Amino acid sequence: MKILMFTWEFPPLISGGLGMACYGMVKALLSFGIQIDLVLPTREMVYFPLRQVRDADSLPAVFFDQKKQSIFESKVFANMRERLEYIGISERPESYFQVADLKRFTISTRKEYWLSQVRTTEEQELWQDLTNNLIGEEDLIKKVQEFTLRAERIAKLLDYDLIHAHDWLCYPAGMITRKISKKPLLVHIHATEFDRAGGPGDERVHKIEHAGMTYADLVIAVSKYTAQMIMSRYRIDTAKIRIVHNAFSISENAVMSQERIFKGPVILFLGRITLQKGPDYFLEMAQKVLAVHPDARFIMAGTGDMSRKLLRRSASLKLRNRFLFTGFLNRKQVERILRAADIYVLPSVSEPFGISPLEAMAYGITAIISKQSGVAEVVNHAFKIDFWDVDLWVETINHLIENPDKRRKMGLEGMREVNRIQWKQAAEEIRQLYSATLAAHRRQQTN
Amino acid sequence: MLNIVFYFQVHQPYRLRHYNVLDIGQGTPIFDDKLNSDVMKKVAQKCYLPTNKLLLELILKHEGRFKIAFSITGTAIEQFKLYSPETLDSFKALVDTGCVELLGETYYHSLAFLYDSNEFLDQVSMHRDLMQREFSYYTETFRNTELIYQDRLSDLIFEVEGFKTILTEGVDRILQWRSPLYAYKNYSKRINLLLKYYQLADDIAFRFSNRDWPEYPLTVDKFVNWIDKLTLNEKKGHNQFLNLFMDYETFGEHQWAESGIFEFMRHFPAEVLKHDHLGFANPCQTSALANYQQESISFPEAVSWADEQRDLSAWLENDMQRNAIETLYQLFDRIKAKGDEDLLKLARMLSTSDHFYYMASKYFQDGDVHKYFSPYDSPDQAYIYYINALAELEERLLR
Repeated sequence: MKILMFTWEFPPLISGGLGMACYGMVKALLSFGIQIDLVLPTREMVYFPLRQVRDADSLPAVFFDQKKQSIFESKVFANMRERLEYIGISERPESYFQVADLKRFTISTRKEYWLSQVRTTEEQELWQDLTNNLIGEEDLIKKVQEFTLRAERIAKLLDYDLIHAHDWLCYPAGMITRKISKKPLLVHIHATEFDRAGGPGDERVHKIEHAGMTYADLVIAVSKYTAQMIMSRYRIDTAKIRIVHNAFSISENAVMSQERIFKGPVILFLGRITLQKGPDYFLEMAQKVLAVHPDARFIMAGTGDMSRKLLRRSASLKLRNRFLFTGFLNRKQVERILRAADIYVLPSVSEPFGISPLEAMAYGITAIISKQSGVAEVVNHAFKIDFWDVDLWVETINHLIENPDKRRKMGLEGMREVNRIQWKQAAEEIRQLYSATLAAHRRQQTN
Repeated sequence: MLNIVFYFQVHQPYRLRHYNVLDIGQGTPIFDDKLNSDVMKKVAQKCYLPTNKLLLELILKHEGRFKIAFSITGTAIEQFKLYSPETLDSFKALVDTGCVELLGETYYHSLAFLYDSNEFLDQVSMHRDLMQREFSYYTETFRNTELIYQDRLSDLIFEVEGFKTILTEGVDRILQWRSPLYAYKNYSKRINLLLKYYQLADDIAFRFSNRDWPEYPLTVDKFVNWIDKLTLNEKKGHNQFLNLFMDYETFGEHQWAESGIFEFMRHFPAEVLKHDHLGFANPCQTSALANYQQESISFPEAVSWADEQRDLSAWLENDMQRNAIETLYQLFDRIKAKGDEDLLKLARMLSTSDHFYYMASKYFQDGDVHKYFSPYDSPDQAYIYYINALAELEERLLR
């Protein structure tokens, strides 16, 4: 079985959970013998033919252009990083920023083509939605446009049985490929615009999300929480929706033993500092906990559009040197900060899944997670609290600080639990969905 | 007689590294030795060495009639020794002429006066010892960091033996109808006060190379002519003092050599001394020269020489600055109680006012000045590194 997969993030091109999820999923699928041609938003026009498990780390690349390919093959790179830089992969994609205040501009030149050969009015509406909404002057939208046009070439160039597209940035690419190749399309919802924006968000993105899900043969949601969102907010046919929870597999060379930075208990927030992740609730908790436990240290790890606001507010609350900001952390630094933490909190306002708490739990850190999250559906050995119930968060953190033995016991149980949530199992579910979709597609074609 | 009182501030802080949370407890250095060394060497080449050479020539040439004063911070002296010992030697040569007065201040160029009187007095006495040690000089005149002054400062300084005069800014809202050209007394009439004549001082320090300034270019003739005119209102023969206080880095660093600042200074003393009723004096001489009943003047609120507002807002305006400095001074007592000298030294290096200056977020004109002097991309960055450093200090305290 051969899959054409579009995603916006894949290590080392990673800013959040999407990249982590794709990596774990792809690795497990490869171990089943499934072949994957991966397409990323690279500067150069390349795809990554992944055939063996190790390819997920080495990322072999092929240029579309014959000439460029031979130049690429003749080049000697000192290391992987140099090779990836040549292709145009940076470590910090600007993926999920909020697409607000956009100017509309009419029509892409490809609109006529995209609208040709549509048979039903529903289909026409869908493509109208796509072409009318994939417009904007900002970098991200332009990148999506270019990515989509690239998909048109890929669709004809490669040979594949099924298309798998992750999140809205890749839906237009998935749609155009399905349209050209007539191969089934599977879209994977890691987050919707409602989650990211912490409110209604950008209407254009909703339209593209809706078009993608409607046009797809199958929709995979990362949690019940997300499936419900898709049904209630996007009115997607429930028969098409399947739930496959994300998982977490620790990398083999990770060092996980605790290495303290601070004497006092360390409470960690790890993620993008955006409205969706509830960083302002974290600050409120810190203020209340520090009033009782001044020896505690609150660490806000990550960056985002709310960093500045949170920094200023933490100063105005006079939290002294007890509320600290790390700025952007690379993978190695994330591991180091996890080794130094005692309590992990995820106060997200809306979290479709949330892989990061699984990683924290794998390190034996006691986790407190928002009830408004998909990850809450798969773990038992973590505290689950409504994101807005600050007093309960504070009470729980205080309790864990005051009872270190209980905290460690819970952390250990959490670690055992998370070690059972492996990508192998999630990927097996996806493999079955691939097969079923292909079978259904063949039946349709023979009819 | 109008006496020109030149005082130049010589200061270099210890700038912080981009100090991350993950650096805490790792034994990584807090301060950026490379940057500090580079800055010191650059400023020595552009300013300290050529200006010291010029001033020495002028002092020798005018045989005691040209006088100047310096205030040199402890952090500057330490870094001269580390990165530019020839600069320290050239200052010693200047002091040896007898025409140079050295002023007292806080060793670390700190804001301790505002937060911790004991620490303030400690740093004042450390600085006096340093001047004794390095220059065999006993300081009699005091200037607080950035000319920050209020009545309470004069009380504290009066208690320190030997200080007779304090320098500060001639702020309009305090002076009102009074002229900064006279020597005043503090509110309790126990200390002599000299007030900076900021219009003329800033013509040299800030406007000298500004082509948009209507008076550009500033020539020696023009400037001495302005000074000469100041004496017209004084008909009773009272001695006046034109207090030109500025950063020493004005020469060659803030105002580049190409601006003609060195040529200006080279010819300025001779032009002044052509006039019988104009001359130069050191701050310590002014009290004796004041041939009149000195009026006392009260500063209920703190003033400084910084920015348009001439208040504390350059260091203590926003929440980041206030949280940072309050956190630092809360650590001081605990560090002293523990008796860890290394840790105390670090805390003092972090007490230098520049750290809080880098965190200023005031926009408008002044923001440009702050940005020029800051080694960081933004006030937020400066704050993050500083708070992380204080977290490190506290961990060491707990060890």
